[in-house]
Amino acid sequence: MSSLSLKGIRKSYGSLDVIKGVDLDIKAKEFVVFVGPSGCGKSTLLRMIAGLEPITGGDLNIGGKRMNDVDPSRRGIAMVFQTYALYPHMTVRENMGFALRFAGVAKDQIAKQVNEAARILALEPLLDRLPKELSGGQRQRVAIGRAIVRHPDVFLFDEPLSNLDAELRVHMRIEIARLHRELQATMIYVTHDQVEAMTLADTIVVLRDGRIEQVGRPLELYDNPANQFVAGFIGSPKMNFLSAEIVEKIGASVTIELVKHPGTRLTLPVTGGAVGEKVTLGVRAEHFGLPGKGSVDVTLHVDAAEHLGSTSYVYANSGGELVVIEHEESRHTNGNDRITVSISADKAYLFDSAGQRLR
Amino acid sequence: MNMALLRRSATYVLLSLAAFISVFPFIWMALGATNKSNDIVTGRLSLGSNLLVNFQNLLAQVDLVRVFGNSFLIAIISTLLTLAVSSLAGYGFEIFRSRVRERVFQLLLLFLSIPFAALMVPLFVLISRAQLNNTFIAVILPTIASIFIIFYFRQATKAFPGDLRDAARVDGLKEWQIFLFVYLPTMRSTYAAATIIVFMGAWNNYLWPLIVLQTPENKTITLVISALTAAYTPDYGVILLATVLATLPTLIIFFVLQRQFVQGMLGAVK
Repeated sequence: MSSLSLKGIRKSYGSLDVIKGVDLDIKAKEFVVFVGPSGCGKSTLLRMIAGLEPITGGDLNIGGKRMNDVDPSRRGIAMVFQTYALYPHMTVRENMGFALRFAGVAKDQIAKQVNEAARILALEPLLDRLPKELSGGQRQRVAIGRAIVRHPDVFLFDEPLSNLDAELRVHMRIEIARLHRELQATMIYVTHDQVEAMTLADTIVVLRDGRIEQVGRPLELYDNPANQFVAGFIGSPKMNFLSAEIVEKIGASVTIELVKHPGTRLTLPVTGGAVGEKVTLGVRAEHFGLPGKGSVDVTLHVDAAEHLGSTSYVYANSGGELVVIEHEESRHTNGNDRITVSISADKAYLFDSAGQRLR
Repeated sequence: MNMALLRRSATYVLLSLAAFISVFPFIWMALGATNKSNDIVTGRLSLGSNLLVNFQNLLAQVDLVRVFGNSFLIAIISTLLTLAVSSLAGYGFEIFRSRVRERVFQLLLLFLSIPFAALMVPLFVLISRAQLNNTFIAVILPTIASIFIIFYFRQATKAFPGDLRDAARVDGLKEWQIFLFVYLPTMRSTYAAATIIVFMGAWNNYLWPLIVLQTPENKTITLVISALTAAYTPDYGVILLATVLATLPTLIIFFVLQRQFVQGMLGAVK
């Protein structure tokens, strides 16, 4: 199993820069997830690692060797595609053994490796079927099997679960996590679904607009987002953002006032910022408390409520800013109600006008 | 009577009429092949008893095995080469990017508007200078790079998943191997439809073989049927029998590949 290192990786199409200098080290056996909104360059970056897109600048090293111009089949990688990309005219067995056939591996060795991968993924009964005779989940398992057969140093997954229904997605997520444990392989996984990122990753790489915004362990990113973008992207439901203004600054603390709730003030331990500066207060849905239990109370108009049994989400409106609340009292709240919740200073985040974190 | 019923009846009448107009020449051809020339001229439209006589007369005038052999040889080689070259070109036009790609393709499409009559003379001069006159190569060569088939394959290739090509690249296949082992089997129905189109074109080709094939031993079935009609007193029974026989191969190919043909045509326009 190999480590990877990306140094100043860039990708341009003519004058359009898509990847704008990415530096990243991935340890052997690590499960790394690239996450970000559509068009952030995560799939392009993965395809560059795979060798399917030429690298415009920088160095890509896999297992200590520079791989910029090496053929995809010689990089020690295997890739699983969103559309499965199974060869429609071949049986499952032929699909899985195809790469080995072209690598000149002996027939009995191919059979052995295919059977081994089929055993790991419980594909034995399907080996003689054509892809069109399989369900979506089975096809994806075959696609993963095709990757396993090659015994690659690095597995690359390009949004592999996007075409599956919700239930199957959860099942396959667990399957992939099990595979990672069993194979002890380096895996790079691209997704726009932050739940997949949170549940699968050892390390999450958040990308935006061709740049890395933050790299870290899932809970590290959740608890300590570097900026407003990461804070908004990691976590479901996403973090609530309320516009505010710094009204007072004393030593290492600032007092802010919520723009949509004049008079509602909150004091936070922040060293940066200046009086009059427009800032954004970030509060996670589960961090709203019962009235009087936090640092300050706010009363909001409820648009809708979702009671899921184990938890409830209240979609409230703070003068045009959507706020999602999750707490004990939510269970009895319905649309058109008014709800009063408290915000605790110790659990709140503060971002400056450029989206950088102040607290 | 309500309007819906009236409308439906009118549709059926129109469709029946269209079907009759389409099928009648074939029925007339098949019935004619069993009748005497005189009966055909007088408009007889029933099954006759002259089929064997017509067949004997045809055999007496035409070396059927040789003529069909010539036609088959030309049509099969022409189909294989056209499919190989034009599908490769169509695939290339769609898959590989280049700055001049669209310009070249537009130029190709422009060439489609040049009628064959305008190309005939220069083509004949070219073939003569290459000393290929009166050879099958002369018939086959100009048909290989078919702009229509290139266009058809380019359109069909748009539906060929890019991920499949990427998966093959990761699996270690070279570009030509991707074409041969992944693209070709995946696009079977497209090839089936193209086979019918190209084979029919090559089999029914008349004007160009008429110009370049001069000696009787090289003649194809279309030329022979034409020669039969040129007699002072043409035997229509024999002519129609020859026409029936000439129609059979394309008919068989169409019925064998029709399912793929429909799929292929749908794939190309979807």
